[in-house]
Amino acid sequence: MTVAALAILGPLAVAAAILLLRRGAAALAVTGSSLGLLAAGFTLARVAGGARYEATLPGLPEFPLRLVADPLTATLSTVVAVVGALVMLYAVGYMGEEHDKPRFYAGMSFFVAAMQALVLAGDWVLLLGAWELIGLSSYLLIGFWYEREGVASAATRAFLYTRTADLGLYAGIFVLVTQAGTTEISETLQTGGAAALVAGLLLLVAAASKSAQTPLSGWLQDAMAGPTPVSALLHSATLVAAGAILMIRTSPLLPQGVLLVAGLLGGITILVSGLTAVAESDLKRLLAASTSSQYGFMLLAVGAGSPVAAALHLAAHATIKSSLFLGAGIFQHARGSTGFDDLGGVGRDRRLVFYGFVISGLALAGVPPLSGFFSKDAIIAASFDSPYAALFGPLALAGTLLTGAYVARAVRLLWRGEGRSESVSGARWMGAALAALVALAATLGLALGPLASLLASELPEGLLGAALGLLAGLAGLALGWFVPAGRLLGPAREVVGRGFRIGGGFDGLVARPALALGRAADTFDRGIHAVAIAVGQGTMDVALALRITDERGIDGLIAALVRGTRNLGGRARGLQSGLVHKELVLAVVGGAAILVFAAAAALGA
Amino acid sequence: MITLVVALAVGAALFGIGLYGALSQTNLVMIMMGVEVMLGGAMVNLVAFWRFLHPEVFSGQMFVLVVMTVMALEMAVGFGIGTSRFRSVGSVEMEEARELKG
Repeated sequence: MTVAALAILGPLAVAAAILLLRRGAAALAVTGSSLGLLAAGFTLARVAGGARYEATLPGLPEFPLRLVADPLTATLSTVVAVVGALVMLYAVGYMGEEHDKPRFYAGMSFFVAAMQALVLAGDWVLLLGAWELIGLSSYLLIGFWYEREGVASAATRAFLYTRTADLGLYAGIFVLVTQAGTTEISETLQTGGAAALVAGLLLLVAAASKSAQTPLSGWLQDAMAGPTPVSALLHSATLVAAGAILMIRTSPLLPQGVLLVAGLLGGITILVSGLTAVAESDLKRLLAASTSSQYGFMLLAVGAGSPVAAALHLAAHATIKSSLFLGAGIFQHARGSTGFDDLGGVGRDRRLVFYGFVISGLALAGVPPLSGFFSKDAIIAASFDSPYAALFGPLALAGTLLTGAYVARAVRLLWRGEGRSESVSGARWMGAALAALVALAATLGLALGPLASLLASELPEGLLGAALGLLAGLAGLALGWFVPAGRLLGPAREVVGRGFRIGGGFDGLVARPALALGRAADTFDRGIHAVAIAVGQGTMDVALALRITDERGIDGLIAALVRGTRNLGGRARGLQSGLVHKELVLAVVGGAAILVFAAAAALGA
Repeated sequence: MITLVVALAVGAALFGIGLYGALSQTNLVMIMMGVEVMLGGAMVNLVAFWRFLHPEVFSGQMFVLVVMTVMALEMAVGFGIGTSRFRSVGSVEMEEARELKG
């Protein structure tokens, strides 16, 4: 287990080292992720040989942190490590002329470490922590070029979208842990009944936002504002994958109702995001929409009851999508933009990269014998085998058609047209990483069979599904190549191109009602405020009146006392006539009185 | 033969006459003469008490001497005031002297 933990600790230590040393960031990052890759690969080999690892680390009291290396987590960990290491290698070339490299490489290493922790977590507490950390590091990385216009808001948007839906994860985990009485994931998955339904739906919300499923997918395309290696990592093996991984790992828990919802959600996303991708006018945004669509396939597979197919598609998609992004990054460097208007003909200028891009694209479209063919076939077969075949089957086929269409469209737009390419520095690093990933994307299909058997499950197969899927993919490719997007979608293109902003889109459906609600609440609040002020004012007035009467009363009393004293003084003054004989008389009378009293006292005694 | 009672009666008579004089007169000099007579009465009393009751001690005589000294001082102060008032106002009529009115 120490070795498996090294997959987490390697990148993590490197992230810390980069932040401390602030030099040699690229070399350190590549070393760290390579170390992680070795550790993950070694663990996978040992697990394939029948070994199972579990480690309990001291965490919070009563909440130990558990790591688990079983076939599923080891496979996913290896996928993360492979993509992480190759993207890091690519970044050496891509980020060659950027400033502030330590921040970038530390962020990337931390991202990989957090994702490894999430994948290997055997405990909800650790998973939750890792989940938050990937949210944080994705925010930092998407906002890497924060001084450019719109980047900071894109990062904030991504963060807020995923963060809001994380409430589902918190609530779902709360339900599971209170039901099962333990935070160990494998044990909480035994929960059944209504709790499983509620928890499943809550987890689905969290997964849907992380994996950019339909109502919550807007952030993913904006996240393209980050550097391309970030996009590649984020789309293939880390942030977006976290949602699908959550659903795959919790699939034993999910009752039929949740499976249906998950499958439908995935299916709808496949169509919506697929159409968006067909209409996009920017290469990276097209790939982003395609990512969301492909994760829709994975949710569909989970919904169809075949999490293994989802896991294998995740692995295949990770290599395919990261290689597509890496290719896109090289094109971006060559033309200084990712819009199709600027990228016309770039494929002819950079042929090798273009061929790699085409191979990966064909793999995504499901052309045999590339990896996408096998994984997508499995999903199509699973959806035809599921209880909801009538619903899921056509969705999967339509999605395959759309995938072919947008891949062909992208390839065509890159090949045709004119433009002037600049030389790309660091192309050797980028090319090496791209070649490795393309090779993986092409050949991973052969490894899917053994992987499935390692996961103690058989891949769903069906000749009919395979044939239909292949036909749909090829039809889509033909459609995308020969028919321009404008004619393919007709008048709907406007709507689709703006990301399905029906009725004002997200802005109109959520933001404006929310603002109106906010304003109403504000008015209400102001009313309460006014009432409170009025009450306060009234109390003040009463107090003031009391004070005045009080003061008048006391003042009057004192004045009366003064008047009385003065009066008395005036009378006493009358005695002081100033006439000597009067004074003398008074003295005599006083003396006589004293004498009389003294005599009386003497006689009395 | 003069007895204590006779002597006291003479003292009382003197005191009463002096008191009447002091109260009835308006001239400062006359008032002071009344006061002198009163003090004289008091001295007669003192001498009578000494002579008839305790002839062996001298304190009675001493009291009389003290009173005589006080009389002399009183005269000096009183006539000083009278002289200064006469100089400034031209009269020693006490009915006209109301400056001490409160």
